[in-house]
Amino acid sequence: MSKTILLVEDNPDDAALTLRAFKRNSMLNPIVVARDGIEALDFLFARGTFAERSGKPPPTLIILDLKLPKLDGLGVLKAIRADERTKLIPVVILTSSKEEQDLIQSYSLGANSYVRKPVDFAEFQEAVKLLGIYWLMTNQPAPERTTS
Amino acid sequence: MQEAMFNSAYFSCIATDESGVIQVFNVGAERMLGYAAADVVNKVTPADMSDPQELIARAAALSLEFATPIKPGFEALVFKASRGIEDIYQLTKIRKDGIRFPAVVSVTALRDHRDAIIGFLLIGTDNTARLQAEEALRDAGALRNAILTSSSFSCIATDANGVIQIFNVGAERMLGYAAAEVVNKITPADISDPQELIARAAALSQEFGAPIKPGFEALVFKASRGIQDIYELTKIRKDGSRFPAVVSVTSLRDAKNTIIGYLLIGTDNTVRGQAEFARIERNNHDLAALNEELRTFSYSVSHDLRGPLRALDGFSLVLLEDYGDKLDHDGKDALERIRAASQRMGALIDDMLRLSQVTRAELHVTGVDLSAIAREIADELQRNSPGRSVEWAIEAGLSIRADRALIRIAMQNLLLNAWKFTGKVDRPVIRVGALERDASTTYFVADNGVGFDMAHASSLFGAFQRLHHMDEFPGTGIGLAIVQRIVRRHDGKAWAEAKIGEGATFFFNVKESKGGSHEQDHPAR
Repeated sequence: MSKTILLVEDNPDDAALTLRAFKRNSMLNPIVVARDGIEALDFLFARGTFAERSGKPPPTLIILDLKLPKLDGLGVLKAIRADERTKLIPVVILTSSKEEQDLIQSYSLGANSYVRKPVDFAEFQEAVKLLGIYWLMTNQPAPERTTS
Repeated sequence: MQEAMFNSAYFSCIATDESGVIQVFNVGAERMLGYAAADVVNKVTPADMSDPQELIARAAALSLEFATPIKPGFEALVFKASRGIEDIYQLTKIRKDGIRFPAVVSVTALRDHRDAIIGFLLIGTDNTARLQAEEALRDAGALRNAILTSSSFSCIATDANGVIQIFNVGAERMLGYAAAEVVNKITPADISDPQELIARAAALSQEFGAPIKPGFEALVFKASRGIQDIYELTKIRKDGSRFPAVVSVTSLRDAKNTIIGYLLIGTDNTVRGQAEFARIERNNHDLAALNEELRTFSYSVSHDLRGPLRALDGFSLVLLEDYGDKLDHDGKDALERIRAASQRMGALIDDMLRLSQVTRAELHVTGVDLSAIAREIADELQRNSPGRSVEWAIEAGLSIRADRALIRIAMQNLLLNAWKFTGKVDRPVIRVGALERDASTTYFVADNGVGFDMAHASSLFGAFQRLHHMDEFPGTGIGLAIVQRIVRRHDGKAWAEAKIGEGATFFFNVKESKGGSHEQDHPAR
């Protein structure tokens, strides 16, 4: 069973580099890229262009940028944590910012991890590798529940 | 005597025959009216040199008074006198040159031994000066009156002991007492804030080295010494409410310069106080807006500016990793330079953000063990570069009242600097200590490193200012700017002394007196 990753990232360069980092670290999980907050929620709740996903299992991991068009990362996080179907999915914030407020708010809203994107891509690849190893291999996720 | 009278220049003396034709016209009359006696004697009557309108009015009044028609000519001037009634009146006279002046005229009928009128004597004085003086007096009186009845400021006069003697309308309005309730009963000290009186008395006692009682004496002490005194004081109204007043005090003295009382003029400062408050509010608001803008700006810098750099670095690395075998040494070098520059710009952006965070951070001032912080940082530096051996001389027991997190950042930057710039000397020594200067503590970090030319000292604390070549000593040049900001946030100062080849010493202090009150210190709060 393949563990899907939802990558919520509006910057195509960052998305490409993140995908590359996963690939080079031999993590071949399917990765779905959502380019804004609404698209991310459409995917998670099988709405709009993702309506055909209805009934499919949710992603194993959500990697979430904070600054996003339409609905920002904190808004997406809030919606994820408020819904029975998604509230137990690990969410890793992957963002440029190390503003204190962003960190505090992310954790307050129930983020599981917060990783700052380094400029140095070698470091970035290392960070993605550690993140993948931990959340996809080491971490024991919450048991899947059947919801009505 | 008669001679003297006729020759006096101070009053005019005009005698006429019974029909009014001038017979005598003295020197005073000549001077006053501008005519020579020869111009008028046997030629005109005094009515010819009087205001015709006034003559008409006078004739009308007399006609009414005596119920007989009186002509508005000479008759109007002498009618009463002709009836034996003493007559002194004011009249506008017209000089030969046409100029008019007010005269006071006294008229007497001249009679022969059978009591028959043979003429009239008109004695006149120029009333101009008296009228002017009267006008001035009236004006001054009006002014005085206006002052005393003005309701926009209080005017309180006391006797030498402070007992209120005058309490004007303004004082009544401002303080809520009627004059009758306070005059001869209380002193202005009784309607002033007692705490402020005590404080004022204490301050004055200290200033003048003499015990001054916290009562009326405290209000007028300076004025009693002849010193101009204007001060702000909280006054208490009859209903107990308070308001800030600005009071100006003057001592009132008699001819022998003895103080007979005091005059206290006060204005209600509430409106000004409110305006001041509004201004401060507005400034705070602007500051908060500015702070918010700065926050938004750095947020945007943090999120957006680093993105393109990641792409530059990332895709350069992609090229190196995937196409490295197709690139020669120069091609790879170019890509490495792109990566290095991207990373450097990333570091600059991070430094800029750190600087702005230091500026915006809230201060939580507590007692901080500076020696412990310095030792921690020294250990950290030593651990990260085990190959280097530096002699640390950290004075024990250094304490400072500051924000722990911020002062740690400052020390980190200072010690890292010292560490860096002693990298090329034989026996590096870094000292941390404190000096007592002018009853305040100055902390220092000294090294025996490369030092710098004091000519560049002024640019030392500017952001991104560097005094050394990049390949010699790397860095972005933000460290000392951050130190400066942190010290300034603590109302302190940072400065440096150095000599090329002999090392540098960085000094700083923080404002000490405030203690815990510092904790609310934040530009936008």
